[in-house]
Amino acid sequence: MAREFTEAELESYLDEALTAAEMSDIEAALRESEEIAVRLRSIHGRRDAGVHSLGEIWRRHRVSCPDREQLGSYLLQVLDANQQEFVRFHLEEIGCRYCNANLEDLQARQQEIESATQNRRRRYFQSTAGYFEKEQ
Amino acid sequence: MSDANQADAMLVERIRAGDTEAWGELINRYEGRLLAFSESRLRKRDVSEDIVQESFIGFLNSLPNYDGKRPLESYLFTICAYKLTDHLRREGRRPTVSLSSTASASGGDWQIPGRSRPASSIARSGERQRIEENSLMEALTEQIEHWCRRDDWTKIKCMELLFVRGRGNKEVATSLQITEQQVANYKFDFLARLRNRLRTQGLPQEIFPELYE
Repeated sequence: MAREFTEAELESYLDEALTAAEMSDIEAALRESEEIAVRLRSIHGRRDAGVHSLGEIWRRHRVSCPDREQLGSYLLQVLDANQQEFVRFHLEEIGCRYCNANLEDLQARQQEIESATQNRRRRYFQSTAGYFEKEQ
Repeated sequence: MSDANQADAMLVERIRAGDTEAWGELINRYEGRLLAFSESRLRKRDVSEDIVQESFIGFLNSLPNYDGKRPLESYLFTICAYKLTDHLRREGRRPTVSLSSTASASGGDWQIPGRSRPASSIARSGERQRIEENSLMEALTEQIEHWCRRDDWTKIKCMELLFVRGRGNKEVATSLQITEQQVANYKFDFLARLRNRLRTQGLPQEIFPELYE
């Protein structure tokens, strides 16, 4: 049996803000059940009427998202333990798609830096290794 | 405005003035996270790159209307989400749901539960709605910052589960290993603070029904 989706999850679906797996789950449920379509239309109706949802404003303005610097510190594991745990919770249990995209980008950049560093060291080595041959 | 937002605002000003170097800088700064956002959903690198390309074009087209007070990253993610949604609809992966309450007879007519005043009667200008939204956003930000300063991460986690994910009290209590009574107390205090803050600004109750349930 398909799981029940909360109102907040359906709002997030409309904003393309859930994790990829959750987006797919709702799409599958939407194909099978008119009930989900009715609930989504109801959310549109509420929005059209100008009635605010707390969760919607929270997500749109990302009020509890760690900033980029904090995500970088999280990657380096230099936040204090409680904050480190909160960022993990926000990424993994709340599944914030924007923060996860940022984290992935930061990881990719870190790897690029590491790769560039390796290339530079290899270049230094290759351009200087000849001196050893001359010495011998 | 944070340092990052200020740097972005200056970058946008340079782009508006036709500085191509600034445009390159914006691309360098944001393409990675937008690509990760698209690729997490599409799992196809080439299509994701096209979505990011379309998002940058979309940004340039919307530049005359971009409000510099809005964080650039969120704005770019919003454009990217629209482009992604469009793509998924064209591919048939994302079922179409009527976008307007007036376009459908079933389920679209939304009313505030338990209130006699019809929602249509409280419809207001877009500008007015933005002011209301910003008021709630500022109240939320103030509360979150207060908890951050006090190292009160459990309360932030609790509110994220309740309002960002829409989970019930019982599930939140289990997830955070606290009692249901604690969840209820945290929620009660949180909503009371928000209500007080909004009341001082004279905003009507009807537009924030969750705060008065």
